[in-house]
Amino acid sequence: MFRSGCKAPFTISFRVVILTEHMAKATKNIIEVRNLTKTYPGNVHAVSGVTFDVKEGGFFGFLGPNGAGKSTTMNMLVNLVKKTSGSVKIDGFEVTENSDEVHKRVGFAMQEVGLDEVATAREMMELHGRLYHLPPTVIQERIAYLLKLVELEKVADKFTSTYSGGMRRRFDLALSLIHQPKILFLDEPTQGLDPHARQLIWGHIRELNEQGMTIFLTTHFMEEAEALCERIAIMDRGQIVTSGSPAELMKKHAAKNLEEVFLKTTGSNLANEEVNLKATDPYARARM
Amino acid sequence: MQTFISDWWYLSIRNVKLIWRPLLALLPALFMPIFFFVVNSLSLQSFAKVPGFPDVSYKDFIAPVAIFTAIFFSAGNAGIELVQDITSGYLKKLIIMPINKLAIVLAKLTEVAVQSIIQGVIMLTLLLVWGVEIKSGLLGVLAMFAMLVVFAMAWSCISMISALRTQNARLVQSLFILVFPLLYLTTSQAPKELLPETFATLASYNPVTYIIEGIRALVLTGFGDPSIGYGFAAASGMFVVFVTLTVLSFRKALK
Repeated sequence: MFRSGCKAPFTISFRVVILTEHMAKATKNIIEVRNLTKTYPGNVHAVSGVTFDVKEGGFFGFLGPNGAGKSTTMNMLVNLVKKTSGSVKIDGFEVTENSDEVHKRVGFAMQEVGLDEVATAREMMELHGRLYHLPPTVIQERIAYLLKLVELEKVADKFTSTYSGGMRRRFDLALSLIHQPKILFLDEPTQGLDPHARQLIWGHIRELNEQGMTIFLTTHFMEEAEALCERIAIMDRGQIVTSGSPAELMKKHAAKNLEEVFLKTTGSNLANEEVNLKATDPYARARM
Repeated sequence: MQTFISDWWYLSIRNVKLIWRPLLALLPALFMPIFFFVVNSLSLQSFAKVPGFPDVSYKDFIAPVAIFTAIFFSAGNAGIELVQDITSGYLKKLIIMPINKLAIVLAKLTEVAVQSIIQGVIMLTLLLVWGVEIKSGLLGVLAMFAMLVVFAMAWSCISMISALRTQNARLVQSLFILVFPLLYLTTSQAPKELLPETFATLASYNPVTYIIEGIRALVLTGFGDPSIGYGFAAASGMFVVFVTLTVLSFRKALK
């Protein structure tokens, strides 16, 4: 992914530090989730007693049909959605009690992308760098490096509203990395992208993981999970129904591929979607 | 504290850029006040000869209303922008940053304050060119802007509360209909003595009346008129109430 001439002034030292720490802490859990539950008004259980760990430097995939509770779980991991019960520790910090410490350590590329339509990519990155309280010189170095990484340096001074879907996703990825997070949360990062754009994103994510960054990915593309993830948890109706490495899961469920594992372990998508809609949509909740 | 000020400052810069991006967005809020001012000051100028009307031209009488209306119209945009930030996911991005979340609300209020000053300066310049005279001088202009900015921030809070509660741009935009009763059930078009009793009573319960009267006093009579104090009291009261409700709504939304 690094092209010749691509300067990575902060990344070289970052890589050395991360790789050294990575080897030393390979067994440390950077995400610890215990009995995590989210219940919406009307006794709608979006997530029910979910427990799992993610190793530091790992690549963890969270799979499940639409409405299974993947995004709700991920949002609880970064304290965007308040948990009803259970515990979430990110790098040793309980998420609800130390949300600022958690937020310093995580980057989040969301499903909605969420770009400021009347700002340029450079302006947004500068703002985010400032809000993470980084020194101005460091911000400029990172902007240059990250824009080169996601191949958007030529459009850095154009409004983000002019970007294509793939460019928006790539820029969102770069934006979520401005503060060099230890953990990167990716919610359906290739949703709606063409195969070329998808491959580009996969390449970027792989490279970040090789540098030692922990990746937590939700997706419902089995191909994506198989290509990227070391460990996978499949979620259905708010619960984890199976977990393990892709090879372990195929062996355990006597399946030829992850898609077969997925189909064997998950139920009706439509029923889940309805539950999730009622749980998160205020109008749906009002009608219940 | 230092990081709070820094967060507020950088978020404010981002928000202030929204005012002129695109530049044309500044025009709608100016068009209607200018239109009403020109049409009313020309077509109703003989109204100033009615017994009981203050000893000023109708144009001077309604000049403060034109400035007030420009700010009234534009301050409601804060809620629509907030809905856009919510629905696009941008607000989530801000929430998962290690920043003081209160800075997000204060930066929005700062944007409203800056926008009010820009709109107010444009309107005031047009009025001065049109021949309106500000009796209280430069200090009076500053006092007038202070009152207008405080009111604009209060009014923008109503739209932000609606944005946080409904997350629906159409519902937030529909708050625009409140502008007309709040603006016309006042002494904006005629002094209270000339209003029918029912309208005069309604106007006396409408806080906007006191703000318009306060600005009018600064334009027509100068310092020393108690209406100025009442205007500041009404604007400040609205500010305290609605900023508090906005902060509470924001905290609730974060939960």
